Amino acid sequence: MSQAFELPEEMNIYSAVETRDALLAWIAAQTAKSDKLLDISGAKVREVDGSGLQLLASLSHSDQPWRLVDPSDALTQACTQLGLGDWLAEQTNAA
Amino acid sequence: MHNASDADRDFIAAAMPAFISEAGEQTEAIETLLLELEEQPDNRELLDSLFRCAHTVKGSAGIFGLSKVVEFTHHVETLLDKCRDGELALTPEISTLLLQCNDQIKFLVDTASDESADTPDLKDLRADLVIQLQVYTESAGKPTQANAAPVAAPIAAAAGAATSPAPSAAPGLTLWNISARFGQETFRNGMDPLSIAKYLKGLGHIQSMTCAIDAVPALVNLNPETCYLSFVMELESAAKREEIEGAFSFVADDCELDIQCPESAEQKLVRAIEDMPATPRLGDMLVSVGAVSQSKLTEVLSNQEQSTPATSGQKAKIGNLLEDKAGVAPAVVEAALNKQQKAKESSGEENRFIRVQADRLDAVINLLGELVIAGAGANLLARETRNVALIEANLHMNGLIEEIRNGTLGLRMVPVGETFSRFRRVVRDTAGSLGKEVNFEIVGGEAELDKSMVEKIADPLMHLVRNSLDHGLEPPAERVAAGKTPAGKLTLSAKHETGAILIRIEDDGRGINRERVLQRAWNKGLIEQGVVPSDDVINMMIFEAGFSTAEQVTNLSGRGVGMDVVKRNIEALRGNLKLNSRPGKGLTVDIRLPLTLAIIDGFLVGVGKAKFVLPLGSVVEVIEAGGQHVRVDKNGRHVVELRGNVLPVVRLRSLYSVESTLPERTSVVVVASSKGQYGIEVEVLMGQQQTVIKPLGRLFKTLRGISGSSILGSGEVALILDVGSLGDLVTADLHSSSHLNRTEVTP
Repeated sequence: MSQAFELPEEMNIYSAVETRDALLAWIAAQTAKSDKLLDISGAKVREVDGSGLQLLASLSHSDQPWRLVDPSDALTQACTQLGLGDWLAEQTNAA
Repeated sequence: MHNASDADRDFIAAAMPAFISEAGEQTEAIETLLLELEEQPDNRELLDSLFRCAHTVKGSAGIFGLSKVVEFTHHVETLLDKCRDGELALTPEISTLLLQCNDQIKFLVDTASDESADTPDLKDLRADLVIQLQVYTESAGKPTQANAAPVAAPIAAAAGAATSPAPSAAPGLTLWNISARFGQETFRNGMDPLSIAKYLKGLGHIQSMTCAIDAVPALVNLNPETCYLSFVMELESAAKREEIEGAFSFVADDCELDIQCPESAEQKLVRAIEDMPATPRLGDMLVSVGAVSQSKLTEVLSNQEQSTPATSGQKAKIGNLLEDKAGVAPAVVEAALNKQQKAKESSGEENRFIRVQADRLDAVINLLGELVIAGAGANLLARETRNVALIEANLHMNGLIEEIRNGTLGLRMVPVGETFSRFRRVVRDTAGSLGKEVNFEIVGGEAELDKSMVEKIADPLMHLVRNSLDHGLEPPAERVAAGKTPAGKLTLSAKHETGAILIRIEDDGRGINRERVLQRAWNKGLIEQGVVPSDDVINMMIFEAGFSTAEQVTNLSGRGVGMDVVKRNIEALRGNLKLNSRPGKGLTVDIRLPLTLAIIDGFLVGVGKAKFVLPLGSVVEVIEAGGQHVRVDKNGRHVVELRGNVLPVVRLRSLYSVESTLPERTSVVVVASSKGQYGIEVEVLMGQQQTVIKPLGRLFKTLRGISGSSILGSGEVALILDVGSLGDLVTADLHSSSHLNRTEVTP
């Protein structure tokens, strides 16, 4: 597996468009290489808001299989607060 | 916005001034709230409002693409969020930090359109503030750390996610079922479902929480700034429905919100009543929700009619009757009564505002001034025709003009308290830097004053307040030694007097040291050596240019510039300044200002060919006086006897050297000024007149007793008399020696 996509420190409305574009570009590049499971790392996420979570959620509706690795405390906490705790667990354990 | 079209850009440019002014209000509110929170740190509502204000600034700045404001405010918001979650207590240190941050937010907003205003120094300062904010924010997240910072009731991070299997509410609590589908614009409006969820967590215990992400499109089709989220939550809480709805108040416009709870039959009725449109009558309300039948209501009502007679003279209350006779549950009646009450309040108190550009309003007021003059002209012409119908039509029209005038001038009136509350911060910071303790009190902030006056009076007031803090109030030790409480008292108050507003700054400090003032006045050559004027004159010396008694020049006051400017500014507003010094006990500064700068109700009088206008509010009565009634007493001043009292009289004819032959009979208009009543001798009375005040030219600025001019309907110019300073002339005659001394030395 190649390198994981590193989510930015701030996943909020101000960076949403940027993050989406970066993710799309990265996914396109990865899928061109192989159709393996995509690794997306949330280790660096320090701040996240609803739009950030929504961005992650939209990945689940995309065709490429992916999983979340190393979600930071901030990310985990935000997910549970918004009622996405179970979903997060699924994404993290997706093998 | 990232892909703003030209139309968007135009819109944003046009809306910018409104944003700046609104954000200005928000930052002011933040300051006020922070200061209030210092006094009541546990007030949850204040904290919530504070958070909302910061949030609103951030949100709206985001819409305008002001990234600097957004980024900076974001850190403030994060810290406030921690405070709200109870992870961090709002200590005075944090409060000070937040106040400093707020200054920066205000600065960034004010200079939004001016890149060059932001210097590297300020950038460093902000970066430093952000680091300080982050230190607090991050320490808050780790309550286990052995730090001394008070961490109030940390809420375990996992608590919010707990999904207890049996959703049932504990006694006294209600289990609310909340489902919310957020509107697409939610994020763009600066709101966030996540923060609403966090807010709700603060209201009680979240039993379950599920976020629906089905509506979120695939990444390729996702517009990351559009909100597709919705959630369902079970919240166990003692909060009322309104409080829960309050969490959604910012998104209410485009959020599908459904809040339910298992209710008893009685609760259902109460709810139904609350949801009803405002129905004025109690009975109708109860009938329409089915709490009582129409026939039963009619029966009770007719009983009420019959039972009315003599005994108490008052009808038995319909609510009580319905409870007694129709068996309606008290709680239901109470809900209906509350609803009635609310309907009454909301119809009267609902604050709805329209933002109007000040210059548009000024244009209307200027036109109105012309209309008043034109109206008076038409009235005059109508009288000359002796056509009764025309005169009546004119009178009616003038009546209407007067109403429009009052209404329009009322539009410019704002509560003076807005300015006052700004001083809380000044007092807090100033007292802190001087090492003094102060209890600052604001009284009568609701008194209204013309908006432009409020703005112009802010600076002079600021100076006076600082002066009181710096020179008036003593340091705690000195106060204790003088038998006072260690904390000084400073009161800023406002109240209406006839046609004027009185703003008073009162402290319980050391008062004015007259000897030192006199000594300095001698040294500076403001008064001739050895001459001792009256106490009032000595007190007023502190307002002379180049005067300062502070031995140690502080960076606040004491440079001898300012106080003279204060006096000039106040006089420029046609106001006046009075000092009442109680040596060792305190100082009171009274500022009297006219309510408006534009138009007043005047009383028109004539002397020879000259016409004068007196403010109608100051006229007490008019007495007939034959030429011989006004006498000259042994001090050489004019007096008239009124009901056994001797009243000083100003003879305008001689004061202003008006050419006229003294008529047989004159009238004396008795006016009230701050110095008491006195008379003004005039020859012709022309009655009430709406007067548009025009400023006097520079040449006439020094003319005493005249505050402005006005154009009459006939095109003639009338001078507006300043009752206050004319009164000074009258009373100055009483202490003629001191008056002369003073005028001689004033350049």
